[in-house]
Amino acid sequence: MNVLEVESLVVRMGQQTILSGVSLAVPQGGIVSVLGSNGVGKTTLMRAISGIYRAASGSVRFLGDDIVRWPPHRIVAAGLAQAPEGRQIFSNMTVGENLRLGAGPRSLAAAAGDLARVFGLFPVLQDRLAQKAGSLSGGEQQMLCVARALMAQPRLLLMDEPSLGLAPKLVRQIFDLIATIRAAGTAILLVEQNARAALRVADTAHVMESGRIVLSGPAKELATDERIRSAYLGGHIHRSEA
Amino acid sequence: MARGGESPILFDIFFFQQLVNGVAIGLVYALMAIGFTLIFGVLNVVNFAHGEVYMIGAYAGLLAITAFAPPLFVVVLIALAAGALTGFGLERIAFRPFRRFRDEASLKSKAMREATLLSSLAMSIIAREAVEIIMGSNMQPIPQQYLLLQPVQIGPLTFASGQFLIFGVSVVSLAALQWLLNRTRIGLSIRAVANNPVGAMYVGIDTNRTIVATFIIGSMLGAVAGILVGLYQGTIFPGMGFTPGIKAFVAMVMGGLNSIVGAVACALILGVSEALATNFIAQGWADLIAYSFLVITLVFFPTGLFGAARERI
Repeated sequence: MNVLEVESLVVRMGQQTILSGVSLAVPQGGIVSVLGSNGVGKTTLMRAISGIYRAASGSVRFLGDDIVRWPPHRIVAAGLAQAPEGRQIFSNMTVGENLRLGAGPRSLAAAAGDLARVFGLFPVLQDRLAQKAGSLSGGEQQMLCVARALMAQPRLLLMDEPSLGLAPKLVRQIFDLIATIRAAGTAILLVEQNARAALRVADTAHVMESGRIVLSGPAKELATDERIRSAYLGGHIHRSEA
Repeated sequence: MARGGESPILFDIFFFQQLVNGVAIGLVYALMAIGFTLIFGVLNVVNFAHGEVYMIGAYAGLLAITAFAPPLFVVVLIALAAGALTGFGLERIAFRPFRRFRDEASLKSKAMREATLLSSLAMSIIAREAVEIIMGSNMQPIPQQYLLLQPVQIGPLTFASGQFLIFGVSVVSLAALQWLLNRTRIGLSIRAVANNPVGAMYVGIDTNRTIVATFIIGSMLGAVAGILVGLYQGTIFPGMGFTPGIKAFVAMVMGGLNSIVGAVACALILGVSEALATNFIAQGWADLIAYSFLVITLVFFPTGLFGAARERI
């Protein structure tokens, strides 16, 4: 069964068509990755799924409901959370307040279980609870961003460029984390520039070019696809296979 | 102020009284400035009808007094309720129609700022004129038994009972606001939308509801300031919101546009400076203080006295 089904999604900004008919599905407990270079519409796709951009046409079905016209808060409440590009944390507020906002309208007592789970995944956040989120390091802010999204008890987590701007060691940590979150039963739709790491963790992958999906398949097959290698993996994959 | 250490002026009773008067009027400016600051925080716009919210609070209290002479705290509650209703209506009529898109570019856009500047100004004129048509443009006296000018003697100092009311209500309101903004979901949402409106959408905050709540809370504080001043100064008239509105606006700008602490501190500075200025210059010149502060702030501290950490785009 699919948690998310995107059908022929079209998004326009003014005269420009940013997404021209994107279709993809995320199965329950699966990891689906969307690859592509800058400006092909990956973030627009994520924002349209979360209800932040309005779609011109097409449908987004989440757990059976067509959510394409829903406002963002209703989509989050239904169990679709996003760790957005650029983190979008509340820098003037404390780490604790950020997490509390992530928990939605539930009281802190009701969300205590999620808080404990999040602290298990990110022990560093527990130490920083009273600190302003803006004073965290880049890696910690990324963790807070993911932790905040997990506080919403999502059935599906959208992750937009979670490794952007992080040191290699932290990138590895983030991808380990993605596997852990999936193991706990949350499906993940992952947008990444780091195609090699994304293909390693994902089940299925789609390649986007100028607003449409041009190539789809199991991640393992795409990782060895000649077109993908030359366009997105550079020489890296040869080295790692050697 | 104290010209040299030997000056006796700091121990002057008149001086101290003026200081107390200044803090009282400063608290009134502060209650109003918070309304400006909260709304500027979530929308990046100035609500030019805020002075009329203050006026409506005063008239609501007056109507209640003349209709059924309730106890004082009920008068304050009625002003609060009138403020809440006014804030709710104002957001619907003058702000929501100009807020049609969800993305960050238009959420706090310049076009919306200019449109709502005019729509809120229009609403302020309509409200003032409507009250003038219904209630008359002359000053409405507060019935004697509600007037808070009974002298209260503490040692060598004399206070008006209204000053105690202003202190009491302001302190309670400020404490309630702090609790609201730091401990409740709706308060956290207001701060979240002010801090990062796009982030707020991602965590599932209902932005529209949060904005309505901001208008209601800010307008309640403005309305309560109106009835406090009405009871203390004894007269209520349709244009009464204009001058304090300007002062509160100056306090907000001095405070750095979206710092509540800054706005309250600057409102107090403004009130005290005005009261003390009457020591040295004629009463009529006291208004000049606020405008001088505004010019000095804008020229030398363009981000406000408390706005150094501003990171708004």
